[in-house]
Amino acid sequence: MFPNDIKFLVVDDFATMRKIIKKVLNELGYTNIEESDDGKNALPILQAAVSNGQPFGFIISDWNMPGMTGIDLLKACKADANLKNLPFMLVTAESEQKHILEAAKAGVSDYVVKPFNAATLKAKMERIYQRHSTPPAAKAS
Amino acid sequence: MSAAPKIVPEVNPLFDKKLLQAFVDGALKTLATIAQTEAKVGKPHIETRLSEKCEIAGMVGMVAPPLKGTLLISFTKESIFQIMENMLGEKHTEISNEISDAVGELTNMIYGTAKTALNQMGYNFEMAIPTVIRGEFTLSKSTKGATLVIPFELKNNSAFHIAITVQT
Repeated sequence: MFPNDIKFLVVDDFATMRKIIKKVLNELGYTNIEESDDGKNALPILQAAVSNGQPFGFIISDWNMPGMTGIDLLKACKADANLKNLPFMLVTAESEQKHILEAAKAGVSDYVVKPFNAATLKAKMERIYQRHSTPPAAKAS
Repeated sequence: MSAAPKIVPEVNPLFDKKLLQAFVDGALKTLATIAQTEAKVGKPHIETRLSEKCEIAGMVGMVAPPLKGTLLISFTKESIFQIMENMLGEKHTEISNEISDAVGELTNMIYGTAKTALNQMGYNFEMAIPTVIRGEFTLSKSTKGATLVIPFELKNNSAFHIAITVQT
């Protein structure tokens, strides 16, 4: 599982959902958490953290946001050489097949549907950890 | 050219028990999962003239062509304060921006959960952005047709309501 000092960026336009995600992460032992209220504001935060030598280790982002959606933030991260390997979890109220496929196609690490609890988030994070810590050669074999 | 208006009692989807159940399940699941809050469902009823007093409510337009409707989730102060305490460990004594934000997010989650279930049954509801109304006000409906009202009660005896108005 991810180490407890990993740095999270939680992106959601609703302060309530940011608080809920932070509370759940705290319950799982993670306390190094920063917030952003939109994808548009999150991208420069992610890029500045790389420049400062203190990059984020995990992004949890809402899908529906007014300035830049979560899926567009994901695509922007994938297009940035410094951010493309960053674990990226999308949070959304949408659980329909077309949305899951769109997120998978864009390269999302995993997907959590609201409402969720700590056990669900933990299970998803464990899966992401396994996927990101497995070398590409091992995945192909 | 538009079709003749349909007669509400015969065709209105408010009489579809699966629609009612989707919203009941959406509310119960959302509160239990995100706020560890149990709620008791009261007796749903149809009102032809909605006139409801609220302190804060989340509202979202529901569109599933050719259906158009509104979902309204109205909370008393006591019910939303209880939910906030269970959900975030925060004690509130007045309706604030934080409460408004939470009502918007709860409306979003309840609608999202119900919408997924309904679309699996053949409806085609789309996601929409909720609006929050706060302050003491009375809601009245200007459109023809009926409103399905589902009352809920929390353990501290406080109440919230889901009101679904659908035009066909």
